[in-house]
Amino acid sequence: MERTVSTSPREADPGPLLAPGAAAPVLRAARRRPSLSAALVALASVVIPLALWWVIAALVTQMRGVPFPTPLDTFDRLLALVQGRLLVDFTIYRHLADSLRRWGLGFSLAMGLGIISGLMFGWSRLLERLSMPTVTVLQLIPGLAWVPVAILLFGIGERSTVFMIAVTSFAPIVINTTAGVKGVNELLVRAAKMLGADGRTLFLRVLLPGSLPHLLSGLRVGFANGWRVLVAGEMVVGTGTGLGYSIIQSRWTLDYAGSFVCIAIICIIGLIVERGLLLPLERRTVDRWGLARTT
Amino acid sequence: MIEFQQVSKLFPNDETGQVVQALQDITLSVEENEFVCVLGPSGCGKSTLLNLVAGFERPTSGQVLFDGRPVRQAGPDRGVVFQESALLPWLTVEQNVDFGLRNLGYDRNERKERVQRFVSLVGLSDFRRARPHQLSGGMKQRVQIARVLALSPRALLMDEPFGALDAQTRDHLQDELLHIWEIERKTALFVTHNVEEAVYLADRVVVLAPAPDGIAADVPISMRRPRDRFSDDMREATRALLRVLANLPCCVLPSSRERGTDVLLPQA
Repeated sequence: MERTVSTSPREADPGPLLAPGAAAPVLRAARRRPSLSAALVALASVVIPLALWWVIAALVTQMRGVPFPTPLDTFDRLLALVQGRLLVDFTIYRHLADSLRRWGLGFSLAMGLGIISGLMFGWSRLLERLSMPTVTVLQLIPGLAWVPVAILLFGIGERSTVFMIAVTSFAPIVINTTAGVKGVNELLVRAAKMLGADGRTLFLRVLLPGSLPHLLSGLRVGFANGWRVLVAGEMVVGTGTGLGYSIIQSRWTLDYAGSFVCIAIICIIGLIVERGLLLPLERRTVDRWGLARTT
Repeated sequence: MIEFQQVSKLFPNDETGQVVQALQDITLSVEENEFVCVLGPSGCGKSTLLNLVAGFERPTSGQVLFDGRPVRQAGPDRGVVFQESALLPWLTVEQNVDFGLRNLGYDRNERKERVQRFVSLVGLSDFRRARPHQLSGGMKQRVQIARVLALSPRALLMDEPFGALDAQTRDHLQDELLHIWEIERKTALFVTHNVEEAVYLADRVVVLAPAPDGIAADVPISMRRPRDRFSDDMREATRALLRVLANLPCCVLPSSRERGTDVLLPQA
């Protein structure tokens, strides 16, 4: 019966139902062009700390007689390392690759477990009540405090480092995902059930995307936590390579500039992942779904 | 088709310990292909009535039957159009319509064909790739209608679907809905607090009073369609229903009952 419906005349005249303005795809707010003063402020925000670093380096070297690396020293050392000079027996590339691998493993673990747990806690009041206190406590434990636990669980080595990264990234991911799921409009859940969604569809196509903005900010915080604990993780569990390991080891050879390079690399990679990847992703999601306007 | 047998519904409030009685001892039946409007003041349990048929709520006592069987859970045989947009914001118009078809396991071609047919049935072909936040209120409601119709439901349950729209858009959508309903005959349960809307749309208007009063009137509207909104018959039917409503206790403001009567007296 439905198949005989002629639809063309209705299509032709949608009538005044199309509210003017609302119909056109929402115009993205015109990007503000950076003015000169804004550019200067941005520049100053980089130059001033560098200058401060320089002053401190000069003062410390003068007063305490120890060679505190200046930004220039650090940059020189960076160039040397980039050209393949060794730092604590390995190239900087090897250190970087190992650190990234450990972080990648730890963070993936935290992400997988965190998202699944978050979806479940957000769905079930009971599970949430049972588990949230533990998660909250987990979040309060400082990264270094996991060292003895890691050593007891996994001994000295790679797996302990991965564990420390995972365990510190985990809590913010769970907490945010849970909040995200709980924030999904009950009406959407009802509608989905009415439309025949089974449990899996409900999770994957309603609760997961519905909690995505929260989830992404959880990932952002989790990433930062995990990346920061990398140093502690590599420091104490004696893995032999890695940026964090190098920072500590280079003091034995008085290669302070080398450890400064590692610190700088850690900061830069952190910035790139957070500002360049996770934050834009989060913004884009919110923007595209128009979530900011309704929630 | 839809049957309420002495249905009561209580909502306990966990925090205050109070119990709110939404419905008490409601007995009502809606025939196959009948268009029934449930009319009543806000807070009288209209939406609860609909949620019971939809399967979102369970009755505290009594039974709700759909097609002779007790309602256990929500399902695509009872398509619900919600008052506010309950579209999935991350899906486009097309994907929203497709969502249910996919759940029901239609094959790819049939899904595509149905999505296209029902999106154009509600006149949104040009907006098939738009996301809900890019649509006006009226357009969102059309998508809601399209996505339930695409599943060939046995009944349409509508909870003040046009309540949040401006008058002009509302009139248009009413016409549109009737047009669709005439092509795809379905049992329709339509909840509204708007008297004109009820009279314009329904075969039968059920006036619901706040519990414990229950059904205050059950009025057949026999005018032929298409109806003229400004005809004397329409006005007469509207007035009669307003009179019934005016005599109901109001659950929100006790004083407005008096006021309602005042306004009506000169016309009577």
